[in-house]
Amino acid sequence: MVDQLPNLGREDEMLKAMGLQNMEDLFSDIPDDVRFKGPLPLRPPQSEEEILSDARRLLGANISMGSRTSFLGAGLYRNYIPASVFQLVTRGEFLTAYTPYQPEVSQGMLQAMWEFQSLISELVGLPIANLSLYDGSTAAAEALTCAVRVHNRKATQPNTVYVSSLTSPDKMSVMENYCQGAEITIKTLEHNDDGTLNLDSLNDAAGSCGVYLEQPNPLGVLDEGLTKTKEIVGEHTALIVGVQPVSLGMVEAPGHYGADIVVGEGQPLGSPVTAGGPLYGIFACSKPYLRLMPGRIVGRSVDVDGKEAYCLTLSTREQHIRRHRATSNICTNETLIALMGAMHMALLGPDGLHDLAYRNAAACQKAKEVLVETPGVKIVHDAPHFNEFAIEIEGSAEACLAYLDDNGIIGGFDLGRWYPSITNQILITTTDQTTQQDIEALSAQLSMWTSHQGVSA
Amino acid sequence: MDKPSGGECLSHLFNHNGAPNTGYSQPPSIETATKPSIPAGLVRRQRARWPRLSEPEMVRHYTWLSKRNFGIDTGFYPLGSCTMKHNPRVNEVIAQLPGIADIHPHQPEHHLQGLLSIYYEMQHMLEVCAGMDQVTLQPVAGAQGEFTAVRCIQEYFRLKGDTKRTKVIVPDSAHGTNPASAAMAGFEIVEIPSRVDGRIDLDALRAVADETTAAMMITNPNTLGLFEADISEASKIVHDAGGQMYYDGANFNAILGITSPGLMGFDAVHFNLHKTFSQPHGGGGPGSGPIGVKAHLAEFLPGPLADRRAPTAGEQSTAVDEFWYHWREPAHSIGKVQQWHGNAGAVIRCWAYYRRYGSGLTTMSEHAVLNANYLRYAIHKAARDEGVDHLFVDGAETDVAKHEFTLSMQPAKEQFGISAMDVAKGLLDRGYMAPTVYFPLVVPECMMIEPTETESKDTLDTFAQHFAEVLKVDAETLHAAPTTTPVRRVDEVYAARNLCLRHPFDD
Repeated sequence: MVDQLPNLGREDEMLKAMGLQNMEDLFSDIPDDVRFKGPLPLRPPQSEEEILSDARRLLGANISMGSRTSFLGAGLYRNYIPASVFQLVTRGEFLTAYTPYQPEVSQGMLQAMWEFQSLISELVGLPIANLSLYDGSTAAAEALTCAVRVHNRKATQPNTVYVSSLTSPDKMSVMENYCQGAEITIKTLEHNDDGTLNLDSLNDAAGSCGVYLEQPNPLGVLDEGLTKTKEIVGEHTALIVGVQPVSLGMVEAPGHYGADIVVGEGQPLGSPVTAGGPLYGIFACSKPYLRLMPGRIVGRSVDVDGKEAYCLTLSTREQHIRRHRATSNICTNETLIALMGAMHMALLGPDGLHDLAYRNAAACQKAKEVLVETPGVKIVHDAPHFNEFAIEIEGSAEACLAYLDDNGIIGGFDLGRWYPSITNQILITTTDQTTQQDIEALSAQLSMWTSHQGVSA
Repeated sequence: MDKPSGGECLSHLFNHNGAPNTGYSQPPSIETATKPSIPAGLVRRQRARWPRLSEPEMVRHYTWLSKRNFGIDTGFYPLGSCTMKHNPRVNEVIAQLPGIADIHPHQPEHHLQGLLSIYYEMQHMLEVCAGMDQVTLQPVAGAQGEFTAVRCIQEYFRLKGDTKRTKVIVPDSAHGTNPASAAMAGFEIVEIPSRVDGRIDLDALRAVADETTAAMMITNPNTLGLFEADISEASKIVHDAGGQMYYDGANFNAILGITSPGLMGFDAVHFNLHKTFSQPHGGGGPGSGPIGVKAHLAEFLPGPLADRRAPTAGEQSTAVDEFWYHWREPAHSIGKVQQWHGNAGAVIRCWAYYRRYGSGLTTMSEHAVLNANYLRYAIHKAARDEGVDHLFVDGAETDVAKHEFTLSMQPAKEQFGISAMDVAKGLLDRGYMAPTVYFPLVVPECMMIEPTETESKDTLDTFAQHFAEVLKVDAETLHAAPTTTPVRRVDEVYAARNLCLRHPFDD
């Protein structure tokens, strides 16, 4: 504590200059009846070394994914992040800056965010991107409310949006919280047995304000049918596609097949998983959505000498100007994590992104090749996948995952946590960090699991 | 338009398309029997037109950009309301440990005992400091905390069948996020004027508080840096009308350990962990915006909450302590506002920050207030010494301020045409970040100054002297400021009229 407060010991000198007697005088305006009596009932202060030691002990009690063989993803993906990203992002000029309200001394971050917008725009195939929302779920939720703002007047189903029924309940819950205030009804779209979208059910969504679908979908399936969805829903319904950004190294950008808004969890590019936050939400759109979109945007401008310069722009959409009529309440966003994303993208380049996507997909392909031969394991969807897929096992998924855990493997995600009627399916995720040995170990243990099931049955 | 001059540096990411394929060479992919295939209609036809940089070029580019940016590490950052304090570096080291950076929120509880215990400790600490009964760490920013809390209040009334409460009262000096968050939840906003001295007008409050009031949102100290001494009475008025009191914790750093929202009669509060404690703001985020509530609202919070109990058979006691830590879902939860468990990385940094102060958090607040009052004194004194004290007045009459204070440059504007923005730009030329300008809106030509507790007396004295000296500069020169920064005044109107929101590529 002492090392953080430069004026400890100088209080009297400062108080005296001000004509005050003691620290208490600084709080003379706070009535007695609301004052804390006595010291805060909290632990005593610690030194840096003690804090670090406690942090190592407590966080050491967690089991990190890297210390095990892990197939857990389901929305968060641990790709390798090059060392330079971490080194650069901790530069104090970036790390300890506030929102760039004074552009003349914030050109570094402003330009970096303008470049981020450019990188994302190219990645998803849409002309406009903001400089991040909180995460993939809030980006999806804000896309729905944005779609209603833009399309409600001409919609034959006003205040109505359609969302894939596969959407994870946690994300759906965020959407419901964001939509309920505007009295938006969220209806769901059904999927076929092979995991693809039921295009007939999509007809119901025509004339609504927006449709939200994911590519790959929450079961990892790459759905070619999404390229036909814009035609079906029509001009006055926003097609919103949620992406896993790494997949776009191989998979077509949704902006190129009709998406009006692309959102996604940016984390797989540039950020560790960090227990689910901080992350960064991608939000990109086409021109009709620009003036009603959420979040901060950087524009390129000039200074008084005509020199190229950057500043925040279109702020009249935002809460500090528009107050209760703002397009969103967002103020603080995830700029620093978006910066990590920009650095990772800049480092990878177009070919590096392709290679990263290919490594993810190759590990997935290998896992499918091995698991399809594993006794008692069935691949649920006969469909193309990017980096995750569902398997069906014998017995319960929960028990199987506990068994794998006992044997040092974080085996994936129990799909029963999303879809309660399913009890025997696991979502297997691969990344660039997945090795052939990992896959073989998983196969061997699943094989053992199956044989145990046979014995107990 | 001139191209920026970057010396030997790569000035523009997109101006570079050199020989290297990538700045990060990857190991070979896993070998497969069949190549991974993308459905024909989904194969990406054209790769993203991203630049191709080698690692040295990329490192130089971002290092160059960083040199064109101002942070707390660069210099004094008196940005009012934003609490730009020093960020202890060990917190960054801790946040990179694999036990936080490389864990997944869907891992089973026995993998996350350390995280759960830290969440539990943080919930408890915030409950103690705020005088609340239950905290959730899920909201990821202050504005999201506001939204979450008013949603909880909304569901509380809905469950009671009290459906008439559709309005939220906010003072006109409130942060813009207050009305924006309440409107997003579906409330109608009732704005009440402040008194001439900047404080809450109880008569105006009495006039609007009724059976349609769901809540009042207010910060204390308020956005002028003044403690609302009538806060208990305000709480009583709202409670008597059947409404809930919501505390905007943006200014909590002024009163921690001195008073608490609970003592003032509030039912719900959000914390800006990144301000009150410390999470580097990273040029605009991340933040963390936990909320705390009284018992009657606790079961409406977003889950999961961290909880603990004595371990039962099969639950191995861990390296943490004698408890078993687990997640818990509140019974009437509004659901989630972020997909996972909040900004855990920010929570960990703030945990480390809390541990450094412990029960001494009160001293942190005392020094924040000491520094603000001292700087206010020093600016007035330097201005008198330099003969420029007639160019500004206090934004609000008060004996003592709290963690921040406001000045009105209205006299300078009227006498010489020198605006708050001119003074701000003049300060940039002297190596300082400018204070917040034009907020709160109730003070004309406002400058809002918050030094924080981590600045030395010498820094404050020197800043005060520079502030006075800026006011001695003639209007014409100040209009032209800044002249020493990487660029000069940026044309924001041009930016809005000639929208260029990304690299034009070849379009």
